[in-house]
Amino acid sequence: MGIIPEVLLDYITVNTYWSILFTIHALLAVALLGALSHQALSVAMPVRAGAGPAGFVTRFRAVHGASYAAAVCVLWIVTFFFGAWIYTKYRMYVRIPIEQEGFWKTQGFFEMKEHLASIGLGLLPIYWLFWKNARDPQYDSARKWLTVTLAGFCWFIFLTGHIVNNVRGFGS
Amino acid sequence: MSTTTQAAPATRSASLASWVAFRNFAIVFAIATPIIYVICEMRNWPLFTYHPGTNRVDLGWAAAVRDQGPAMYWYGWTASTLLVAGLLGLAAVKLPESIVKKIPLSLVWIVPLAAIPILVYALRFFWRW
Repeated sequence: MGIIPEVLLDYITVNTYWSILFTIHALLAVALLGALSHQALSVAMPVRAGAGPAGFVTRFRAVHGASYAAAVCVLWIVTFFFGAWIYTKYRMYVRIPIEQEGFWKTQGFFEMKEHLASIGLGLLPIYWLFWKNARDPQYDSARKWLTVTLAGFCWFIFLTGHIVNNVRGFGS
Repeated sequence: MSTTTQAAPATRSASLASWVAFRNFAIVFAIATPIIYVICEMRNWPLFTYHPGTNRVDLGWAAAVRDQGPAMYWYGWTASTLLVAGLLGLAAVKLPESIVKKIPLSLVWIVPLAAIPILVYALRFFWRW
């Protein structure tokens, strides 16, 4: 069931193996969510010069958005890879009990999460190009709304993953 | 000296051409991905089917095998989408610049958002109490 390098099982249990993969997936997702949230807010609500004293929100959005672009692309791809890897375990040992318990909407949200993650992959090349040309005004509007869209996708994906883990995650 | 001054514009020109080619690819790839993904999901056209219970992979769509666990199509839908959208993106590289310039850049975020209600509808099986 799923892809497990046999040599690892001499040192750790199967449950530990999947728990490590899931934890890495979750930590990468946190990093991605943070980077995209900073960037989306910086482009949707840019800090104006002389805007007064800098509070938490002002500091949160006062980042240099372009410097996050490559990291966001790499994090999306690597998080996607780990998610795809642990999905085999989910399909066998999480989804089936969820269906048996009749948590249909939870499963529906999970399906939506995987759809958005795949669509997000296809947006990364143009997202990277827009931010690589952060000073080109012809891309300003598309860059802003594409970044906000990706951030919205990321929040949905993250929260859904968190809820599904609450339904049947560690220790269940 | 003259070699250096001639080589610099040539390098810049080649770099600009590859940059424009990548931009054309990326625009079409971004617009095509949600459309093709929705089609693959709704028509159930995976490039391959993965059977996690037995680690078997079948080309195209395959039904779950009795007593061997479920079949997974999401990997195959994603692969189909990236393959077809990638081919369309490569085709866009060959298009004249005047045609690609006519594609509104806003489509790169409007099309993914427009795909959401269609995907929600496609998942109607799950929206029940």
